[in-house]
Amino acid sequence: MSNIAGKAYAMNVITPIRWYTAWLNKLIFWVALQRPATLKGLITLSLIHYARWVIIGRDQFPHVHPSQPRETLKYSYMLFFSNFNGSWDQYVDSFTFAIPSGLDMFWKWNVRYSKSVSLTPFHKYIRYNQLDTLHYYNAYPLATSNDVKSARIVKAKLLDFDSATRDASDDDFAKQYRTLLRDLQHDLGDMYPTPIVSMSAYQVERRQRWHEGQLDGSKH
Amino acid sequence: MGNLSGNAYALTVLSPIKPGIIADEQIAYADKVRSILQGWNGLPNSPMTAVPQTYLCRYFVLDNVYTESQPGGSAPDTLNDWLPVVPDWLRRAAMPAHDQLKSRYLVFSANVYVGPSGDIAPYLRGMWQAIRKEVESIWQYCYGFDEVKDADGFAAYIQRCALPASLFFVGSNDEPLPEQLKALYIKQQFARFAVDNQGLPTATLRQNFQAFMKQIAPHELATPTWEPGKYRLP
Amino acid sequence: MTYQLDLLDIQGNVLRAYGRFRYPAARYVFFNIRDGAKGRAFVAALTRRVTTAVQWGEGPDKLPPPEWTLNVAFNYQGLKELDLPRESLIGFSPEFVAGMKDRKDILGDDGPSAPEHWDPIWQHNRETREHDVHIFVSINGLMPLPKDAKPAAVQAAVNDAKARVEAGYRWLLEQVAAQQGGVALLGGHRGDNGELLDYQDVQAVLENGVPTSKEHFGYTDGIGDPVFEGVPYDAERINGRGKQLANGQWAPLAAGEFLLGHTDEALEYPPAPSPLLLARNGTYMIYRKLHENVGTFERYLDEHGQRYPGGKELLAAKFVGRWRDNGAPIVKAWDDASKARFDADYKAADGHGKDQLLSNFTYDEDMSGGRCPFSAHIRRINPRASLEFTRDEQDPAKVCGAFSVSEGAFDTPGALANRRRVLRRGLPYGTVKDRSRDDGNHGIIIMMLNADINRQFEFVQQQWINYGNDFKAGNDKEILLGNHSQSEHFPSKAVLQVDPASDDAPYILPRLPRFVETRGGEYFFVPSLTALRMIAAGTVDPT
Repeated sequence: MSNIAGKAYAMNVITPIRWYTAWLNKLIFWVALQRPATLKGLITLSLIHYARWVIIGRDQFPHVHPSQPRETLKYSYMLFFSNFNGSWDQYVDSFTFAIPSGLDMFWKWNVRYSKSVSLTPFHKYIRYNQLDTLHYYNAYPLATSNDVKSARIVKAKLLDFDSATRDASDDDFAKQYRTLLRDLQHDLGDMYPTPIVSMSAYQVERRQRWHEGQLDGSKH
Repeated sequence: MGNLSGNAYALTVLSPIKPGIIADEQIAYADKVRSILQGWNGLPNSPMTAVPQTYLCRYFVLDNVYTESQPGGSAPDTLNDWLPVVPDWLRRAAMPAHDQLKSRYLVFSANVYVGPSGDIAPYLRGMWQAIRKEVESIWQYCYGFDEVKDADGFAAYIQRCALPASLFFVGSNDEPLPEQLKALYIKQQFARFAVDNQGLPTATLRQNFQAFMKQIAPHELATPTWEPGKYRLP
Repeated sequence: MTYQLDLLDIQGNVLRAYGRFRYPAARYVFFNIRDGAKGRAFVAALTRRVTTAVQWGEGPDKLPPPEWTLNVAFNYQGLKELDLPRESLIGFSPEFVAGMKDRKDILGDDGPSAPEHWDPIWQHNRETREHDVHIFVSINGLMPLPKDAKPAAVQAAVNDAKARVEAGYRWLLEQVAAQQGGVALLGGHRGDNGELLDYQDVQAVLENGVPTSKEHFGYTDGIGDPVFEGVPYDAERINGRGKQLANGQWAPLAAGEFLLGHTDEALEYPPAPSPLLLARNGTYMIYRKLHENVGTFERYLDEHGQRYPGGKELLAAKFVGRWRDNGAPIVKAWDDASKARFDADYKAADGHGKDQLLSNFTYDEDMSGGRCPFSAHIRRINPRASLEFTRDEQDPAKVCGAFSVSEGAFDTPGALANRRRVLRRGLPYGTVKDRSRDDGNHGIIIMMLNADINRQFEFVQQQWINYGNDFKAGNDKEILLGNHSQSEHFPSKAVLQVDPASDDAPYILPRLPRFVETRGGEYFFVPSLTALRMIAAGTVDPT
């Protein structure tokens, strides 16, 4: 198992939807796409690299060969995949604390969804329907979504500063350098290995470490 | 199209695994796939580091649809609370039914950069070219994969196994991976520069800054930069 | 209807920070149970003397404050030795079962904070049966009102408080003796000269003989303690201490954030052991001994105080988010003019007014951290509504180091903070004899209370103190308490933001040393009086 890759956690959740209400979910997602304001909470939380919702109609499971039996299912299904920063608890908790109504809007039509408040039934609902990842790859294990976003800003600002100050006087250079630092005062956080997210994850990580070096960072 | 958000693409693949058994290992194909994927976690790094433009991706085996559920909570249940006349059999009839998949599925879900074309095929061809051996080692147990002979065939096959996303949320950004990695490298280096040069006279700062820009070579994507999948800074 | 708590069923230290109620000195004592039955008899004897949360004063349902308080708690091993049924034991949270030492990797207790450097009592805890800590007892001494405000009179009153602690301790030893070896006192607390003591003494830091609420670095401690439903003596302290609402008002937090058997902010009962009578009105307590490296602190502050444009005292205030002289929150007093205004207001205010000046503030006017840096102590410990923030990042050219409130993004502005609050108790220990040295015996004993150790204390410790992603600060840690990196190669730093509209550059604190090191601690359960009586009688039965 490997739900964790550096600072990212891979969550997969599969939940049944009545086949005749699947269109409602699709409609809600379509509206969310048209009106970015619906995703304001997600954007403010800023914990997700990438996430997606996939709705599989009950007769839409991939069928790729005549010898493969066709699925005959009672329900359609919603698959949710997320790449978030932090531990499972931190993520699920932050979401139910901050945007319970947003979660309910997306999952409301799922069979026996518990609603996001209270917390414990919601935790159980996600746990019951979570599929563990076997292999998780992250191109930047040391970076959070915040870091990826701020790196883009740092690079752009740095290039602008460089070209704007080539011919500047020393005083002007100093002034613009102050401005550069001020503009980037929230973008200078270090990217070191993450604190371990849970004791059990730590145990697994020690046994099947597939990143070079020591867990405690002592090998540089 | 739901799979695309700017230049980023949400690839969701469910490849049905054949029901066979590897007799001398006493293992079902699906479990063999699982075991191979687990084995990747023991390598110095993931084979996916070699596949260009992969931000994040994951593999797992879907054995069956949902495994458990919450008690109660459906409409007849609530009605039953309000109206004692709603009979209990009606409430129980609304409890979730058992659903059974006929195949187990290899799930591959990737977040990748595809560029303005929005076409996933080039990415898939790149994947085949980079890690064909690993791809075959797991997909060989899937229905229809024995017809895949080359990169085009692989791209076509995966697209037949792919499902459209209803909503794809990009919380980071949709720049090419080498751009992202270079920017991360620059960010880390610049934070260090800012610390080391705090309070220096302008002339020195200026000199150091020029040397710094030369050293980080901001327009060179290839090097110096962060290698994909690195857990430790050098 | 107002929320009501059964004050006589709740231990007094849960609802009261005794220091604030004229108890400037205390002693913490730990025991090992050698015999279950005698251990229960010991608990029975203590229970009769336990200080409850009853209202103090005259009138119906009120009692006078005791000359010395007594409170009791158990760790997991202790409850086991008291023969609690296994079915009850398995209901306690996993981190409580595991204990603080086992959680060192979550808590960042590494390097000089690692368990091998802890006081012997904590080093030996959970290694062998005979040295396991089982029972925690605290005794706080009441200071009589001094005859006048002169230092001599105040000093005499403080000495009286200490004498009362001694009296309580003698009483406690009598109860131990009565059990004839069934309960053993565990020593091993490091004292002033490296000697090992049988108890941990704490007392308010004195300035000219007068007790203050400061710790050894000079900061006022314990101002922002959370206020929750049903605590009668906190009714006027809600603003700034409860939860911040969208309309700018404040409301008390749900009792279930701090007491088991009550509904919490998620409208449910926090996970708790059964039976209900064992859990209800009880809570978890985190005991931590934190050594303060005064020499390192002074040197670092001096060195950077000379370079920092605002000078040494402003820099000291930036570390914590409060000024050292009177505790003024830096969001209200961010420069000379505003500080002078604050000081004048503070001087003129009555007790309640002073309290409100210190505690009643938000970060709404300081979303970019130009006043209170994102890595300052109070902003990290309790960010209030400041995590509902954002900036437009589409066009890098427009980014200017400023954040703004992301209005309406969350269900409630304090959504990310309200379920991470902890009650803080405790006092400083030791005295600083030489401010240039780290190796004296000085620090604080901090006791934190919450309903869920993992969700509240451990989360804050790991994510907000030792990590910074929620504050868009990457791995940058909280300045004062962070377990700053010991590595030459990957040193820790912190950014002190400036007003985005100014012409200043942020000041970066480079190569942050460890100002504070862990010297021991454990997770305890503080039962209700009812539960104590049941534990003592051996009648806890989850059947």
